[in-house]
Amino acid sequence: MADDTFDLPGCLERVRRRDQVAARELVEHLYPLVIRIVRSHLPRRVAEEDLAQDIFLKMFTRLEQYQGAVPFPHWVSRIAVTTCIDQLRAQKRRPEFRWADLSENEAEVLDNVLTDAHDVLPGDALAARELVYKLLDQLKPEDRLVIQLLDLEQKTIAEISARTGWNQTLVKVRAFRARRKLQKLFRELQGKEKS
Amino acid sequence: MNRFDHQWRKLITLARQAREGNDPASPFGFATRVASLAATMPPASPWIGFERVALRGLLVAAALGVAAIAFDYSNIFSGQTDEYALTDPVGEILDLS
Repeated sequence: MADDTFDLPGCLERVRRRDQVAARELVEHLYPLVIRIVRSHLPRRVAEEDLAQDIFLKMFTRLEQYQGAVPFPHWVSRIAVTTCIDQLRAQKRRPEFRWADLSENEAEVLDNVLTDAHDVLPGDALAARELVYKLLDQLKPEDRLVIQLLDLEQKTIAEISARTGWNQTLVKVRAFRARRKLQKLFRELQGKEKS
Repeated sequence: MNRFDHQWRKLITLARQAREGNDPASPFGFATRVASLAATMPPASPWIGFERVALRGLLVAAALGVAAIAFDYSNIFSGQTDEYALTDPVGEILDLS
């Protein structure tokens, strides 16, 4: 996606005429966008390349349905988001969140955050990120996505709306619901003994 | 800002400091494989989304049908039927005259 000189309309036109080279170029052009979405919403136990492949195949098979109402990358990102959510939904169960599931670093970060005992160190950032992903795993896929985009990636409500195709009110409702669930989770963790 | 907001902000700020890698290029052979697979696949039906909704609609309709029969069970099986007065307004007017 960094290549600003890429002729997307021309490439799409060639892809529609079944040009294999153009199809390859399109995949290479959109790969960073798709893999970023896949990685940030990767369901457990699913290989990122497999999921990315599914997304691209959906994109190609639905290409005739693209009317140009939204920019093409937005259209593709919606397919990517929907595919990831479907995959997460198919996995159904989110395991219960327990202290015992956390690594030593993650538990330490969580402990520091919950007790507010002392400042966490910048070196704990990776552990914090992993911890956030584990917490987000407890949310519904749609709610998880909204919080991830809003808080982690610092997207605006309008940007999230564009990427997902959900209206802004729905995005706000999902963010509210997700935060309430996270708050409940924090309360439960505070009540539990750290084993 | 309540206690949870403070805790969450603290955690998320720290998590954001862990940069994920730059956008990578596609793995070698990935684009070729995907393009070849796509060439063998038929276009998706434009009704694919509708089908999913239609199935749910069918299930809801079936449930409503069952509920309607269940609530009207006594009338159906008692052999009683409501008799509607079949009046002919035009005839009545002519009779009056």
